[in-house]
Amino acid sequence: MTEEALGGANAAAKPLQKPRRSASAEMIIPVAGIVFTIYYFSTVWEAPWTAQVSSFFVGCILILCSVAVIVRLALAARRGTMTLDLETLIAPRNFIVKRLALLALTIGYIFVIRWFGFTLTTFIFLMLAMLVLNEGRHPKLIVALSTVLALGGWLLFVVAFEVRFPAGLFETLMRGIL
Amino acid sequence: MEFDPRIFIELFAETIQYWWVIVPSIVLGLVVGAIPGFSAANTIIMLLPLAIVLPIDVGFVAMIAIYCSSRMGAGIPAILVNIPGTAGAAATPLDGYPMTQQGRGQQALAISFTSSVLGGLITTVVALIAMPWLAEVAFYLHSVEMIVVMLFGISLIATIATGDTLKGLTAGFFGLMIGAIGADVVYEMPRGSMGFLELYDGIPLIPALVGLFAISEAFIVIDRDTILTERGRAAVLHSTGWAPTIEGVRETLKRWWHVVWTSIIGLFIGIIPGAGAAIASFVAYQQSKTYSKTPELYGTGHIEGLIAPEAANNGVTSGTLVPLLILGIPGGATAAIMLVVLQYHNVTMGTDLFVNNPKLAYLPFTAMAVTYFLMIFTIPLLARYMSHVTVVRTVYMAPVVIAFTLVGAFVSRDYIFDMYLALAFGVIGYIARRTGYHVAAILIGVILGPLLETYFIRALKMSQGDISVLFSSTLGNILWVCLFLNLAIPIWFERRNGRRKVRSA
Repeated sequence: MTEEALGGANAAAKPLQKPRRSASAEMIIPVAGIVFTIYYFSTVWEAPWTAQVSSFFVGCILILCSVAVIVRLALAARRGTMTLDLETLIAPRNFIVKRLALLALTIGYIFVIRWFGFTLTTFIFLMLAMLVLNEGRHPKLIVALSTVLALGGWLLFVVAFEVRFPAGLFETLMRGIL
Repeated sequence: MEFDPRIFIELFAETIQYWWVIVPSIVLGLVVGAIPGFSAANTIIMLLPLAIVLPIDVGFVAMIAIYCSSRMGAGIPAILVNIPGTAGAAATPLDGYPMTQQGRGQQALAISFTSSVLGGLITTVVALIAMPWLAEVAFYLHSVEMIVVMLFGISLIATIATGDTLKGLTAGFFGLMIGAIGADVVYEMPRGSMGFLELYDGIPLIPALVGLFAISEAFIVIDRDTILTERGRAAVLHSTGWAPTIEGVRETLKRWWHVVWTSIIGLFIGIIPGAGAAIASFVAYQQSKTYSKTPELYGTGHIEGLIAPEAANNGVTSGTLVPLLILGIPGGATAAIMLVVLQYHNVTMGTDLFVNNPKLAYLPFTAMAVTYFLMIFTIPLLARYMSHVTVVRTVYMAPVVIAFTLVGAFVSRDYIFDMYLALAFGVIGYIARRTGYHVAAILIGVILGPLLETYFIRALKMSQGDISVLFSSTLGNILWVCLFLNLAIPIWFERRNGRRKVRSA
């Protein structure tokens, strides 16, 4: 690892920007809990009583807790002590694009791996993700790191541990050579 | 089946001669333990052809060494990057990761390794001596008693949620509800699976673990230069030599009693078939916090909060072998695979094994003792050099964490679907972390939800729907009282301390 990769003794850490607490962001988990519980109940409605009792017990407690959290958050928002935006989730704002790009790359990685295989997909994912997060700086280092890590992963997971990933161009080629 | 110390000493001396199998197995175990998704069970399955071809004693020793060392290896990513290598290490980051952020990663690793080794050694000796009596524990624990054991684990949710009880409970019960997805064990009726056939067997644990801890963490840390706080970064950059490792070992040895009793919790839970290291580590953490004089320090990088889960999950390793050897009932997945190998070699479990082949019967325990003994020598090197991972910049670390932990999500069932599932859990984990819901509480729910439901349905089925069955056994009722006291005592302590503070003010 180079000093750049290790962060370097002189590289200053970026200051943390403390996000404001937002009621609407904190409502996502309890709302998701309520919605999922109602859906879950609909799938056990026809089940025998002994199979229903555990999920109804857990589900009802979840709904009660979630409603209590939502009411508390709504009251806090009404008092003005919390906001009604999604700032808690997206702060710091200058990282929104990077986070969304990383999410898109991750979805792309999982989507493409069945055709390109583990090694090639991992190399492309690591290279693109590192370039995006590092704002295009140190491309040579990133390409070298991505190559080493993808090949290391191939040796460890595919060759040594025989993980049954869909084979791509690289794996097929190497199987022919080896 | 009486314990004969001469056989043990003789066997210990003999087992050391297997060092050539044990050392590479330790290295392999540490590697697979440290990669999320690669459990000891998976590795032994991959090495099954080798374990079958090798002489029974050599194969058995190799399996035991992988099993023990993978437990220790699972703590490494849990402490350094907040990603437990296995579910058994899911309680480790609660205090291990804050220590790393404070720049005490090397010390935390030394504490984790020392507690693992000591916990493993202590419980191996206890299991060896008390094996005939311990084996009976598995006989007495039925569905009703298991429900209470599960509730002990779930009560950790309340412990974690001390900052905001309502949010903690919401997260925990959300996890329990997610854990209830899939077909139930009795009626085989799919519930809440949203039409995905891949969820018929329920939520696979590894994608949930990977998503909640690893993926969400990777998306969160990218706005920092490294995972360390500024103070932590300065501490790491100015720390030199072996001092933090020595300090970590010293701090653990100072708390030897804590290691002893939390590892014994692991041993007892390990004996119960199906309970496993995840429950043991959460129960041990919860008990450690409940009876601590400084419970408010838990979750902030407290040494005892790291010792408890690490000692307990290594205690489980010895525990799972007790019912395997005496009753032929494996205490966990790895023990079940060992049973397959032993049966292939026509080894019959039970009292006969101890009478007819005592050396083979005691071999797993001596192999464990030797493995833990040899692992002592790995502590300084691993603690000192692994801790440097924390200064790697997040722009490089985050993509690596995402790519390689998604591999772990895939490995458990070979489904691409599980990688998407890990990403979905990553999104849930990201939202939860950012909005103050503890991901460990969600994970406890996901782990314990299906187990609790299984025992609940079985108990009700046997009693033909009579809910009073939950209070029908003497042992169960004793456990209910223990659970009640366990929840009430901390509240009583808190109120007493509050009154004292008021008086002293």
